[in-house]
Amino acid sequence: MTGPADVTRQVRQLLAEITGDDRPLGAAADTPLLRDGIGLDSLGGTVLLTEVHRRFGVDVAGEDLNLDSLASIGALASFIQARLPR
Amino acid sequence: MIKCVVWDLDNTLLDGVFLESPDQPPAPDPALTGILGELAGRGILQAIASRNPPEAAGYAERATGHSFAAVRCDWGAKSAAVRQIAAELAIATDAVAFVDDDALERAEVAYALPDVLVLAPDELADAVTWPAFSPAVLTEEGRRRGELYLQRRQRQEEARAFGGSRDEFLRYCRTRVRIAPAERADLPRLHELSVRTHQFNSAGHELSEQEFGDLAASPRHQVVTVRLSDRFGDDGIVGGCVIATSGAEWEVPLLMMSCRAIGRGVIDALLAWVCRTARAAGAPQLIVPCLISPRNVPLRIALTGAGFRAGQQPQAGHARYARQLDDPLPALPGWAAS
Repeated sequence: MTGPADVTRQVRQLLAEITGDDRPLGAAADTPLLRDGIGLDSLGGTVLLTEVHRRFGVDVAGEDLNLDSLASIGALASFIQARLPR
Repeated sequence: MIKCVVWDLDNTLLDGVFLESPDQPPAPDPALTGILGELAGRGILQAIASRNPPEAAGYAERATGHSFAAVRCDWGAKSAAVRQIAAELAIATDAVAFVDDDALERAEVAYALPDVLVLAPDELADAVTWPAFSPAVLTEEGRRRGELYLQRRQRQEEARAFGGSRDEFLRYCRTRVRIAPAERADLPRLHELSVRTHQFNSAGHELSEQEFGDLAASPRHQVVTVRLSDRFGDDGIVGGCVIATSGAEWEVPLLMMSCRAIGRGVIDALLAWVCRTARAAGAPQLIVPCLISPRNVPLRIALTGAGFRAGQQPQAGHARYARQLDDPLPALPGWAAS
């Protein structure tokens, strides 16, 4: 089973791959993903959600109308964790 | 609607096998080269997916006299090449046609990517008469589409080599976004965008030139265009929106942007501009009714990033994204002007 710390680590890893920058690896869990935080734009955000769907089988865009799960690294990790098969 | 044709080279676009005659590579197939030129003239992009070294693409460009918006020359699966080309051009795979003489390659692409229109070379002459290959409107932007995507290729190559942030890169490119009221001459392009945009389209249905003209003339609406340019070239009109200004709250019945402009700050600048314009006119809130579809996730991410929230569950497939205009509004970047 994938634990919460492991999901958070994988989300940070994914963000580092998408941004081509290793800063997300050490970023605090409350760092926002869009704009002033990690700095994802709509393209980066779409790549992130596509990869989350592929790796974890969680369809964030389909389930979270407001995309509140993009509020921070921790919010996205919790959203994924809550939907992983137990 | 087909936006890109991906060509195989050996025994398809070239009349022979490239590697079998390195000293004198095969000439281009004249009939297919003619069709390629016709399709390029209709604003349809051309790309190459070939099991050859990269030199084969350069040779095909020189020999046919046409440029290609994306090129994949390697020994991987053709379906992977087609998927990468669609991603690079930011178009959906159902807007891609794939032409290959090899039935096995066609079957592999059709199996892995069922949305792609897969054609044998001898089917192409007939296929080009199909509506999917015949855009109803062809604008200046449409005719220059191949050239614009070539500039995009150069920009992406520089972006990969550039070390700084996205904002720094946009400034380094001397990005310019200009937002202006739509004029009569802009109506065909606005109609074309309403037909062609999906990833950045809030309404999910097209508007005719007449409808855009009526809205532009209406005292209760504003229709605006968004133009984009940088030091690589001038993209012309890449987006627009319709704003209903008569109520206490302003509403945006249509917000759209070409996927060619993705990653260049355009949608963020447009949303910041609309928020600021609505607040200056005294509107307390801005509403964007938005289709909820798997295809326009990029637009919904942009709305979320600009502080919009969808209040309730969607009705008839649309959610009402709203933003109060009293808290700090998203900043209009220095390179955007109205």
